[in-house]
Amino acid sequence: MHPLQELAAQSRRNFLATSANGVGLLALASMLQRDGRLVAADAANPLAPRPPHFAPKAKNCICIYLEGAPSQLDLFDPKPKLNELHGQKLPESFTKNVRFAFLQKETAKILGSNRTWKKHGQSGMELSDLLPHLGTIVDDVCFVRSMHTEAFNHHPGQLLMNTGSTMFGRPSMGSWLNYGLGSVAENLPGYVVLNAGRGTSGGTSNWGSGFLPSTFAGVLFRNQGEPVLNLNNPAGLSDAMQAKTIEAVKDLNGIRNAQIADPEVNSRVAAYELAYRMQTAAPELIDLAKEDKKTLDEYGLDRTEPEIKASRGGGKGQFRAFASNCLLARRLVERGVRFVSLFHASWDHHSNLDAELPHNCLMADQPVVALIKDLKRRGLLDSTLVLWLSEFGRTPLGENRGGSTNVTGRDHHLFCFTIWAAGGGIKGGQVLGKTDEFGWNIVEEPIHINDLHATILHLFGMDHLKLTYKFQGRDFRLTDVGGKVVPKMMA
Amino acid sequence: MMHLRFIPAFLCVAFILPALAEPPKLPLPAKGKINFDTDIKPILDAHCVKCHGAEKQKGGLRLDNRKDALLGGNSGAVILDGKSAESRLIHAVAGTDPDAKMPPGDKELSPEQVGKLRAWIDQGADYGTSSTSSNAKPAKSSHWAFQPVKPMTAPVIRGPVRNPIDNFVWAPLEKQGIAPAVEADQATLIRRLHLDLIGLPPSPAEVDGFLADESPDSYEKLVDRLLASPHYGERWGRHWLDAARYADSDGYEKDTGRPFAWRYRDWVINALNAGMPFDQFTIEQLAGDLLPNASVEQKIATGFHRNTLTNKEGGVDQEEFRVAACVDRVSTTGKVWLGLTIGCAQCHDHKYDPLSQREFYQFFAFFNSDRELDINAPLPGDAQKVNAQAAKFETVTKKLQAAIAEAKAKKLPAAQIKKQEAALATHLKKAPAVSKAMTLAVGPTRPTHVMIRGDFLRKGVAVSPGTPGVLPALSGSSRLDLAKWLVSQENPLTSRVIVNWAWEKFFGRGLVSTPDDFGTQGDKPSHPELLDWLAHEFRGHWSLKKLHRTIVLSATYRQSSATRPEIMKRDPLNVLLARQSRFRLEAEIVRDNALTASGLLDRSIGGPSIRPPQPAGISELTYANSAKWVESTGPDRYKRGMYVWFQRTSPYPMLMTFDSPDSNVCTVRRERSNTPLQALTLLNDTVFVECAQALAKRVLTEKAEASDAAKVVYAMRLCVGRPITKAEQERLLELLDEFRTLAAEDDVAAAKLLGSHKPVGVPPAEAAAWVALARTLLNLDEFVTRE
Repeated sequence: MHPLQELAAQSRRNFLATSANGVGLLALASMLQRDGRLVAADAANPLAPRPPHFAPKAKNCICIYLEGAPSQLDLFDPKPKLNELHGQKLPESFTKNVRFAFLQKETAKILGSNRTWKKHGQSGMELSDLLPHLGTIVDDVCFVRSMHTEAFNHHPGQLLMNTGSTMFGRPSMGSWLNYGLGSVAENLPGYVVLNAGRGTSGGTSNWGSGFLPSTFAGVLFRNQGEPVLNLNNPAGLSDAMQAKTIEAVKDLNGIRNAQIADPEVNSRVAAYELAYRMQTAAPELIDLAKEDKKTLDEYGLDRTEPEIKASRGGGKGQFRAFASNCLLARRLVERGVRFVSLFHASWDHHSNLDAELPHNCLMADQPVVALIKDLKRRGLLDSTLVLWLSEFGRTPLGENRGGSTNVTGRDHHLFCFTIWAAGGGIKGGQVLGKTDEFGWNIVEEPIHINDLHATILHLFGMDHLKLTYKFQGRDFRLTDVGGKVVPKMMA
Repeated sequence: MMHLRFIPAFLCVAFILPALAEPPKLPLPAKGKINFDTDIKPILDAHCVKCHGAEKQKGGLRLDNRKDALLGGNSGAVILDGKSAESRLIHAVAGTDPDAKMPPGDKELSPEQVGKLRAWIDQGADYGTSSTSSNAKPAKSSHWAFQPVKPMTAPVIRGPVRNPIDNFVWAPLEKQGIAPAVEADQATLIRRLHLDLIGLPPSPAEVDGFLADESPDSYEKLVDRLLASPHYGERWGRHWLDAARYADSDGYEKDTGRPFAWRYRDWVINALNAGMPFDQFTIEQLAGDLLPNASVEQKIATGFHRNTLTNKEGGVDQEEFRVAACVDRVSTTGKVWLGLTIGCAQCHDHKYDPLSQREFYQFFAFFNSDRELDINAPLPGDAQKVNAQAAKFETVTKKLQAAIAEAKAKKLPAAQIKKQEAALATHLKKAPAVSKAMTLAVGPTRPTHVMIRGDFLRKGVAVSPGTPGVLPALSGSSRLDLAKWLVSQENPLTSRVIVNWAWEKFFGRGLVSTPDDFGTQGDKPSHPELLDWLAHEFRGHWSLKKLHRTIVLSATYRQSSATRPEIMKRDPLNVLLARQSRFRLEAEIVRDNALTASGLLDRSIGGPSIRPPQPAGISELTYANSAKWVESTGPDRYKRGMYVWFQRTSPYPMLMTFDSPDSNVCTVRRERSNTPLQALTLLNDTVFVECAQALAKRVLTEKAEASDAAKVVYAMRLCVGRPITKAEQERLLELLDEFRTLAAEDDVAAAKLLGSHKPVGVPPAEAAAWVALARTLLNLDEFVTRE
C-alpha cells in the first residue's frame, strides 16, 4: 500500500470509531439553501414544493405575451383628441428631449385612430371594436392604462418585462416562481412555454433561468408533433425497451453509488424517472381528442383564417396554433404546471396598422377570452392569474420613418401603455391609471414593470424583497432595485 | 449593479432646476467679510465632510479642500466661484433642488448658515489653509484580496506529501483529525486527467498502457503527454471562451451571424497549446493592436473584446449600444482579471467594495476611444483562391459594365438600366476577398464623462483613464498600459484570481468559492496561504501549464472522490478537500465523450464553426426565423462540442440543457444542474442515438468473435474506462437478453433502430439489442461524470 493510502486508512479507522452516521446534502441543494428557499428536505429535488411567505391568492400563472407592442390607442385607451387633431403637430413641449426609434419628430404628425369604441360591463371599460370577446368579460379584468418602461427597443424591452431587467442573464418570472415555490406538477415541468407566430426578438432569453440553475428554465412545448424536444424514443425503440432502459439505468447507477455514495446520483435517477413520466404525460397533454367540440369551437381551433398578405402576424396557420396554445394553457394549469407562457409574434405595427392589428386581434381575442371563461367554469380562475403583456406601447404620432409621408402605423412609446390581468386574486372590473388627452404621458397612478412584478409575486404569497438569489456578491430580485406592490390591483 | 434608467417624460419636469433668476426661496447672502475657519469650516465639518471628505466622497464630491470642492461631483460643479445663486451646493442646502436635498434626513441648515455659505461663495470660496487636498485618496482597505501577494512557506505536517499543495491542505485536516481520502485507483486517475486536461476520455489501450507502466514516474509522464496534446488548448480554451463570452452571432434581435468570430477562438486554442505565458496572453488580448509592429495574430487576439453584443435592431441609438459594449468591456475585464464586480459602480458608487462611480468611468476611459475594426486576416491558401477567382470576377465586372454603357448609349428605358446597375452592385459585393477577423483598434480620442445614474445621455464630470485607487497605481493611459498593469508583479488580484479560476476546474470549487467576486461580498478563501503560494509561484513564471501540472501532481488532486458519511456530514461541500470532488461534465464534454466512445469523433482542431443535427423548430425561434441552421455534412458534424455554432438567440439546445453559459455576459464558473431534459437529450437526441448506434457497431465489429460477456466488458470500458464489476456485468447481460427478446418481436423496428450504422453480418434484431444496450451505457450517471 502507498504510504499515503496507509495513513488515510489508519486515520479513517480512528475516525470511524468516533463519528455518527449521516448522509450529506447535495451541493446544489446547499447552494440554494444559502438563499433560503430550499430546505434540507429538498436535497434530492430542487423542484419540491415550498411554502410561500404568506397566504397566496394565485397558484398558477398564464402569461400571454404579445410580442412587438400592440397599440393601446387602437385597443384600450381611446383618445378622441387624436382624431380631432389628426394630421397636426404635437406641441413641442411633448417631444422635447424625447427619443424615438424611427419617428422623425420635427415633421411627425398626430395619427387619429380608425377604431370605434364601446363601453362594456359594470366597469364601463371602453374597448375598441377589435376586441368584442374581451368586452364580454371586462368585469373579471383589471386594465392598467398607466404602465411605463424605460427600455427603448424590443429585445431589451422584452427582457425587462419578462425578467425585470434590460440586462441579459437574469431569470424570467416563471423561473423565479418555480425557484420560490417549487412545482406540484408530478409529470410535467413547472414552467412551460408555448410559441405561435414568428420568433420573438428576445428568443429564448425571454424564458431562460439566467443565473439560476437550468432546472428553473422554461421548457418549450410544441402544440403538435413532438411536444418536447427529444421526447420521442428513437425510431425503432419500443416503449417496452424504454422502460427496461430506465430500469437498468437506475439499477446500474445504484450499483455504482453503493461505492461512492454521492447524493447527486439519486437526483439523476429521479430526473430519469420524471423524464420517463413526461414521455407519457406530454403527448397526453397535447392530445385534444378528449376535448369536446363545443370547447374546441369556443377556443376557435377550427376557425377560417382570413387571407392576409402581410406576414407580421407569423404567416398562415397561426389562428389554430394560438387557439391550441390557449387551450393547452388550461390543460397545463389543470396538471399543476406553475407558470405557462404563451408568446405570439409580432404586433410591431410601424406600418399597415389598420390591416395587421385587426388580423392579430381576430386571431387572439376569441381564444384568450374562451380561456378565461373556461378557467372560470372549472373553478380555476380564482387561483390562476392570467396576464396580457407586451414590452411597451405605441405613439400617438404617426410613424414617418425616413421622412415618409405615407403614414400608416405608430412608433415605440415608453411613457404609457396598457396591460391587463385577470383571476388569481386580481380585482376585476376596474381600470387603473389615466393618461393625458393625447395618450402621451401618464397623469394618474404610474405603474412600472417592477411594480407589476412585485404585485405578481405578492399574489403568489411572496414578498418581492425577500425572494432573492445571491450571485456575484449581490442579492438579486425579480424586481431588480425597484418595485412596489400595487394594492389597488388586488381583490 | 448595472442599471440603465431613463426618466419617463412625465417625471422630467420635476427635475428641471429653478430658473437662473434669483429664486425667492433662497436666503440672502450674509453681510460682511467671511472667515473660512470661523464661519464655514464648522458648518462643513458638522454637516458635509462625513460623506464628502477624506474618508468618503459620496457622489464623487469632496468638500474639505478648495481644489476638490471646485472640481465638483460626478454630475458636475456644485460651486460656481462668485455665483452663489447658481451654485448647486446652495440649492441643495437651501432645499430648492428637489433632486438633491442636503444634508440628507431631517437635518436642515438654518437660513443664516445658508446665507454664510452664499456669501463665502460670492467672495471666492476661500479655504484658508485647506486649499489643497491633504491626502490624495483614502484608498486603503484591510480587505484580504487587496493586500500584496506574499511568498508562503508550506506548513510542516506529519503525513507524507507529493508537493507543497498537500502541506497546505493536510495541515488543517490534521488539526481536525480528518484523514485525507485514499488515492483514486489508476483507471479513475487516467480518466480524470484526460477529462480535466484535454476533455476527452482515454481509450482502453491508453488505460492499459498506463496500468502496465510500472515506472515510478508513470503518472508524471501521462501528465506531460496530456499537457503537450493539441487537445489541451481546446479544453482550456473552452474554459477561457466562457470568460470571453465567445459566440458566433450578434446577440440582439436579428442576431446576425459572425462568420469570422472563430478566428479569435482558434487564437485562444493555439496560444494555450503553445504555452504562451499568461502575461503575454493577457496583453495580446487586451491590447495586441497597440504592440509595436503588431502582427495579424496579435490583432486577432483583441477579438476578446469584440465578443460583446451588437444591436442591429431598427431604430436603436447606436451610441447607447456602443456605450453598453464599452461597459461590458469594463465589467468583463474587471471580473476576469481582478475578480471584481466593477460593473456595479456604473450607476452609483459600489455598495460594498471601495470602488467609486468615478473610478468606474476612469476604467471605462481606457476603452472609450476604441473602435471595432474588421481586418484582413488571410488564411493559408486565401491568396491563391483570390487570385484564381480574380480573373473571372474581372471578366464578369467588365461584361456588366459594358452592358450598362451599351444600354445607356441605346437610350433603353431607365428601369432596365437601373436593373442592370443593381446586378452590377450585387456582383461587386461578391468580390473575391481574403478571410477577415474582428479586432479592436484605437479611434479618435473621445472624452469620457461620468454618466449620471449610468445613463449615457446624462453627462457628469469629465474623467481621464485610471485604475481603482485601492489598487497599486498605474502610470500611463492606454489600453496597453492597463494590460501591463493587470499582470504587473504589484497587482495583488490577477494572479490570485487566475489560479483560483484554474483550481475550480480541477476541484469543482474554487479556493475562493466565488471566483467572480474577490470583493468584500465574496467568500473568503478556504486556504488563504495555499492561494497565495500558488499565486506567487504563478506570478513567477506565468505558465498555465506549469500551474496545472503542479495542481494535478499533488496528492490532494489524486484523492478518491468517493464520499465518507462522517466527512459528508461535517463538510458536505468538500471545502476541506478531504476527497476529490465528483461532478457532471460540461455540456461540450458530454458530447465529446459520447462521440469518443462511439468512435465517431472528428479530432481535427479549429476552423469555422459547425452545425450538427439539432431538433426541428429551434432556429424558427429566432427573430422572424432569421438564423437558418444548415446541418453540417461530412466529418464536420462529428467535431467537438466547442465548435458548435453558437447562435445567441437560439443556442444549440443540447448545450443549453447541460448548462452551457448563454455567452451574453462573461462567465467564470458554470452552474451544474440535473434535469429531466438532460435525460431526454441523452436518451433521444439524434446525435446521442447515432452515438449509441455507432458504439454498438464498434463493439460488434471489433469484438465480433467474443462472447456476450466479453463484449459487455469492452463496451463498458469504452464508456467509463474502468473495468466492469461482476454485479454490473450480470445486470447488463440480463438487460441484453431482455432487449433481444423485445427486438426480435419486430424486425422492421429493429432495422430502423440501427440507423446508418449497420454492422456487417449481424442480424438486425441482434444488432438492435446492442444499440439499446449501448444507449443505456451512454445514459449512466458515471458516463457524464468526472469522478
